[in-house]
Amino acid sequence: MNKILVCYKWVLDEKDIKINPEDLTVNTSRAKYKISDYDKNAIEAGVLLSEAGDVTVDAVTFGVNTKQSVKDALSRGLNKVYYIADVTAEAADSFVSSNVLASAVNKIGSYDIIICGEGSSDTYNQQVAPRLATILGIPTITFVKEFTVDGNRVIATRKLGDCTEVVTVTGPVVISVLPEINKPRIPSLKQVMAAAKKPSEELKLTDLAINPECIKPKAQNLSTKGYVMNRKNIIYKEANQAVNVAKLVESIAQNGVC
Amino acid sequence: MQGIWLYSEDTTIIKQLLTVGKELKMAMHQPIGVITLCADDANAFISAGADKVCVIKGDSTWAESYADTIADILAKEEASVFLSGGTMRGKDLAAKVAAKLQAALVTDAQTVEFTDNTIKTTRLLYGGLAIATDAVSLPALVTVPPQTYSEAVANGDTQGDIITIEVSVNKENITISNVCPIVKTGVNLSTAKRVVCVGRGLAKQEDLAMVESLAESLDAEIGCTRSIAEDYHWLSNDRYIGISGQKVKPDLYLGLGVSGQVQHVVGIRDSKTIIAVDTNEKAPIFEAADYGIVGDINEVVPLLTKALKTRYF
Amino acid sequence: MSDEEKFDAIVIGAGPAGTACAYVLAKEGKSVLLIERGATPGEKNVTGGRLYTYSLELVEKGLYERAPLHKKVVREKIMMLGKESAITIDYVDPTFVADIPQSYTVLRAPFDEWFASEAEAQGAMLASGILVEDLIEENNKIVGVKAGEDEIYADIIIAADGVNSFIAQKAGLREDIAAQAVGVSAKEVIELPDNVIADRFNLNNDEGAAGVIVGGMDGVTGGAFIYTNKDSISLGVVLNPEDTAQHGKKIYDILQDLKVHPSIYPLIKGGTTIEYGAHLVPEIGFHGMPDKLYKDGLLVIGDAAGMCINTGTMIRGIDLAIVSGVAAARAILKNEEYATGDVGQLYIDELENLKLLPTMRLYANMHKILSLPRMMEVYPSLANEMMQFMFKVDGNLPERADKAMLHILKKHVTFGQLISDGWKGFKAL
Repeated sequence: MNKILVCYKWVLDEKDIKINPEDLTVNTSRAKYKISDYDKNAIEAGVLLSEAGDVTVDAVTFGVNTKQSVKDALSRGLNKVYYIADVTAEAADSFVSSNVLASAVNKIGSYDIIICGEGSSDTYNQQVAPRLATILGIPTITFVKEFTVDGNRVIATRKLGDCTEVVTVTGPVVISVLPEINKPRIPSLKQVMAAAKKPSEELKLTDLAINPECIKPKAQNLSTKGYVMNRKNIIYKEANQAVNVAKLVESIAQNGVC
Repeated sequence: MQGIWLYSEDTTIIKQLLTVGKELKMAMHQPIGVITLCADDANAFISAGADKVCVIKGDSTWAESYADTIADILAKEEASVFLSGGTMRGKDLAAKVAAKLQAALVTDAQTVEFTDNTIKTTRLLYGGLAIATDAVSLPALVTVPPQTYSEAVANGDTQGDIITIEVSVNKENITISNVCPIVKTGVNLSTAKRVVCVGRGLAKQEDLAMVESLAESLDAEIGCTRSIAEDYHWLSNDRYIGISGQKVKPDLYLGLGVSGQVQHVVGIRDSKTIIAVDTNEKAPIFEAADYGIVGDINEVVPLLTKALKTRYF
Repeated sequence: MSDEEKFDAIVIGAGPAGTACAYVLAKEGKSVLLIERGATPGEKNVTGGRLYTYSLELVEKGLYERAPLHKKVVREKIMMLGKESAITIDYVDPTFVADIPQSYTVLRAPFDEWFASEAEAQGAMLASGILVEDLIEENNKIVGVKAGEDEIYADIIIAADGVNSFIAQKAGLREDIAAQAVGVSAKEVIELPDNVIADRFNLNNDEGAAGVIVGGMDGVTGGAFIYTNKDSISLGVVLNPEDTAQHGKKIYDILQDLKVHPSIYPLIKGGTTIEYGAHLVPEIGFHGMPDKLYKDGLLVIGDAAGMCINTGTMIRGIDLAIVSGVAAARAILKNEEYATGDVGQLYIDELENLKLLPTMRLYANMHKILSLPRMMEVYPSLANEMMQFMFKVDGNLPERADKAMLHILKKHVTFGQLISDGWKGFKAL
């Protein structure tokens, strides 16, 4: 099993997203993009395999402005990045994303293992891996906390709510990984420099043989509103902690909490 | 299309889904069907409100392997709605079913309704920062987190069809082994009245001792943020509070060295009173808190423990 | 060390100085590695501020037209704040915006990011998110840099890593930042519609205003600035950190007090603060520069070399940074051509030729005037009170003008103090 493909998503960094207090609308204007957190684990998992043997690891990504992600992705040790940059991604649900990724896979060639993150940090739908596998007609192993490759078998340990289990699949497979599977590397200077020399290729949606019905989302967003808590926000910041503690205890006693 | 179909590999969760199933039935005037792997519970489902139960009798104990079977049932019945219990197995299966049917799937819906002739769902985005309301085209597949609804009460109804489908789904290239239960410490944070939570501000594992003293003086359970459990393993996983961990609704939540990332706050926001202690004045937890102290927990915690002990509660 | 790892130049820091240097070198076909510690260039940078266009023209003619610049500044203000009143000198000069506008207001994150991408387009290799931790020295010459485990070599290293240059310290060219050599600056970007700003500052479409403010800092040594951008106003303070602490104040509080001053508040009223930034600023100009700006294998440019000046009417940093980057690049290219072997001296020569060092020397003592204790509160109050006298009409018989002025003067200063300050000012100029 020596051809690996990682799917990653280029998402808005949720820590830069603000909620407008007046009308609870979501303000993403100051948000920068990043590779979705658990997808970094997926990339790391693929790259570790490639570093252990004669294995290539590519990545594919579907989003609105994915070209910006290529440098970051390649600096993490991937061999090549395929990126689809299309405005369709803006309103895409998992139905659309998985169809697009499946078509991309069909176009760029077959892979032995396709690795995804457990879910994306923006929408956290946790659907792409099993959907992709089903469309491609191969098995999927989700919620993987560790896995090894033995010949043409993948032996993966899943961590579910109440148990762990080992799933062994022979032949091509899609796996989705939990963040505890590894610690994604912080690219070093040489890795960042090497990224500049590695290949990337843009795939146009029109070049992928995709049925137009397959890129129309089945779930339509009607509204997105911020969740805002109204709390008292009484913070004690005196230099003397004993004073702070006394005030705090007084307040919570008054509130009948304790 | 006709039919609101419910599924979970867990019987209790099916009974929870029957509650929302019945709401949808009223709104859509469509019958409720249940798909189950447990033949013995079929009657219980009928008396709790199912009109039809389809029992799958298969050669695999791996629930995930019945995705194709379930997709075929839904297609044959022309189901309009499919609700799957949102366990990890349930989410895995629902996505495969959705792909087979090339249908919509909404994950972790907080609410599912039929209004204005549409299935509408709400769910969290951006780690819990925002709530999205979506209109889902039919057939609408939705996963619902366990315990979102209480179990439907049995009303003694015995009218309903039970059919059994026998299938062979075992695949040669997939084997399951070593199924090991995850040992739980038995703590149930979701029902705790008081919770003391530690975050990355805790410098070392030994410092948990002072936290335990404080928790004791407050008669509180101890929880933690994700990294304390999953990265450092200083506390067991069932003590992790957050978007993919426990959700707590205590009278009192006290965060120690918890910065307050939205993925954690999502798990505590139903708390009655939130108190935080952290060295960083600008930490997001203070925006989510009723009361707080800016300071080093190593200094504050012993003082707080003492103050609480001397005060009669 | 394999040859493929060796660059002609490594530039540490992708701010305006570093990027200008990388741009010019790359354009001439040199292999340049531009290393930036922020995830993107500009992330770690804050400016007032404005950019003087001549500096970008020096890098490449016409480059400024592609840059994400805000408003071309046509109106210059000097404000002297009293407790509630203010004297404002407002100078508008259309020639400042004719042909190539003299200066533009700017926001740093988009500008630095754009500028670095221009350098990349010229062929420079940009590595972001990387902190250079050490220099590699061989036989008393700097030959490379170390980041984590990686060592990269180059013929010349350029330290453009900002006001508290870690690299210049590592090279032994300067000490850690001295408290009296820097100011701490805090600023807010306040969002307001363009037409509202244009009305309040009396501007046409794409024109902007810039202002320096003295007084109103609650007595703390320092000053403030204000610039109009597209759909926002930049307002900030630059304060002496020691003096701030001695007065028992917090820089954030002084900025908030400034915002509600009766002369400032109407300008920003109704606006929303969308950005808050803070940064250190070299404050003492020429005297704050390291004694030597180079060492064998290393040149120091920009804020790392202390190249900032406050002329009393304007604050300049970005343009000097860019000029120093160009000077360094030219020195390196000349050295290649003429093989004199002394890039450092060539660099100093370029700094003289491009008038940067002469400018620094001209304003070398300006900070002494600006930091005269009485400049902070006494003189602004004095001037304001004189103005109040000149404009007050309440039906009573006013004092005779000359007597009144003397009266007011004596209230705030003694003749001895006046003479002393006057003498200091004269010497400084």
